[in-house]
Amino acid sequence: MHRRVTLIACGAVLAAAGALRAEPPAAAPPASTSAAAPPASPTAAAPTEDPGKRLYARHCLSCHQADGGGVPNMQPAIAGGIWVKGDPGALASFVLTGGFDSAQRKDSAVDNVMPPFAQLSDEDLAAILTYIRQKFGGGASAVDVAQVAAARAKIPR
Amino acid sequence: MRSTSMLQVVSLTIAGLVAAAAVHADDGLVLPDGFTATVVQEGLGAGRHLAIAANGDIYLAGRDGLVAMRDKDHDGKVDETQKFGDVQGTEVRIYKNWLYVSDNVGVYRYPLKKGELAPKGARQTVVAGFPLERQHADKTFALDPKGTLYVNVGAPSNSCQEKDRQEGSMGQNPCPILEKYGGVWVFDGNKLDQTPANGRHFATGMRNAVAIEWNTAQKALFAVIHGRDSIDTLFPKLYNAEDNATRQGEEFHQIVDGGNYGWPYTFWDTKLGKRVVAPEYGGDASKEPEAGKYPTPLVAYPAHWAPNDLLFYSGKNFPEQYQGGAFIAFHGSWNRAPEPQAGYKVVFQPMKDGKPSGEYQVFADGFAGEMADNNPRNARYRPVGLALGPDGALYVADSQKGRVWRISYTRK
Repeated sequence: MHRRVTLIACGAVLAAAGALRAEPPAAAPPASTSAAAPPASPTAAAPTEDPGKRLYARHCLSCHQADGGGVPNMQPAIAGGIWVKGDPGALASFVLTGGFDSAQRKDSAVDNVMPPFAQLSDEDLAAILTYIRQKFGGGASAVDVAQVAAARAKIPR
Repeated sequence: MRSTSMLQVVSLTIAGLVAAAAVHADDGLVLPDGFTATVVQEGLGAGRHLAIAANGDIYLAGRDGLVAMRDKDHDGKVDETQKFGDVQGTEVRIYKNWLYVSDNVGVYRYPLKKGELAPKGARQTVVAGFPLERQHADKTFALDPKGTLYVNVGAPSNSCQEKDRQEGSMGQNPCPILEKYGGVWVFDGNKLDQTPANGRHFATGMRNAVAIEWNTAQKALFAVIHGRDSIDTLFPKLYNAEDNATRQGEEFHQIVDGGNYGWPYTFWDTKLGKRVVAPEYGGDASKEPEAGKYPTPLVAYPAHWAPNDLLFYSGKNFPEQYQGGAFIAFHGSWNRAPEPQAGYKVVFQPMKDGKPSGEYQVFADGFAGEMADNNPRNARYRPVGLALGPDGALYVADSQKGRVWRISYTRK
């Protein structure tokens, strides 16, 4: 497993999320895995890893998979899709509130609904959304903390 | 028949644990010594379960609809294919002169008449009106010799949380989903136009028993149940990703009248070898439920392997050791990620008098191939359905391409 060894201080998630914009996407995950070299579990991931990648592994990967390809009939692919290439605020709003994946958010060909991720901080969400836009959205723009905060403020309570 | 190829050599290396593997198997499938697999049908779309008539005709259910297939010149390959009907779903079984099928909301039947490959008669409704759900919606079923119809009504939920699949959300207690889902309902399969209200609630506490089968010799119902997902992402203080990938057993049970198999309140923890209270219901990763409240599984298979079909072998082709034992088609995991996916295989469970009589054995492997990016989407094939041919061969259906294999014992 490739692991970036760049030092990013634990508390500086906010700064890291911003810094990511200037960096190329993280190294691609291994193309395939084998019993000889199982990937580390997200909880065991080094704190020095790209926080967006680490948080994606922790909250998103088991459904959307490491390659963002989803699981046929179960969870949709996000790689190359409208959410990761489109408006950052719309993406933040979707992930905060959950729901199905179609543009209308009414229906879907897949079984499982995405739960809301409002329990995550603006900083963590910004890191995740930046990671998926850069890795799966063809290098789409980063999402900053203010955009997540603005999306959160619009959610009816 | 293909000769040994590089692909097969690779498969053999990967399989590792399969000590004696067949040299001759189409698609590089790895089988026990003496068995042969041949491709009967290259693939017609996404397959689910299948059934074989006494004359050898093959009926395959799928999300794209029903397909009837015949090998007219008896060369081991299907050479006549007819799509028919308007039912898109999983189950297909033959009972007397009827082909019983299901979709997500009902069970139906078509008349099987001599000379007809695809049934020409009108579809009849046996039961209809199950609520349309997304999750675990396939209404798989079993039929006993009297025509009693046992319908698996899967729970449209992972673990009956107040908010499905949401981190930290606690379980509803009692779980209201169990009133209409998460169990087996019994109908008279000979009667038409029934509704779910006509069904008798036979068993409960079953998240989704896709693999459900009547054992004629034992006169009993059996099922292998899909265990729950995501203990790590939902309760990260109790479980990590490795726990989630390995601990929630896929439980094999005899399903008895009035039985309660523990979902969503508990699951069988294969690491601890005991039933534990689910984290949604106050579990602490080791707390046990009240003693004796829920049965111990006959066998608990590895987490997330996705048991999608069950068949008790009663054919004349396979050696004596297979008689009365169970074949289970495991569709393979998705929720093991980021750990390597696993379980894309057909397993044999030795059984005697309806009880396991030995460790399970991997019977057919090599379906998934390299599976790039550890993503189930990239599996070459995924075994999903099993059927017994009139000559005792085991047929296996695949969900990726709708491929069908025939596995027979060919050692003389």
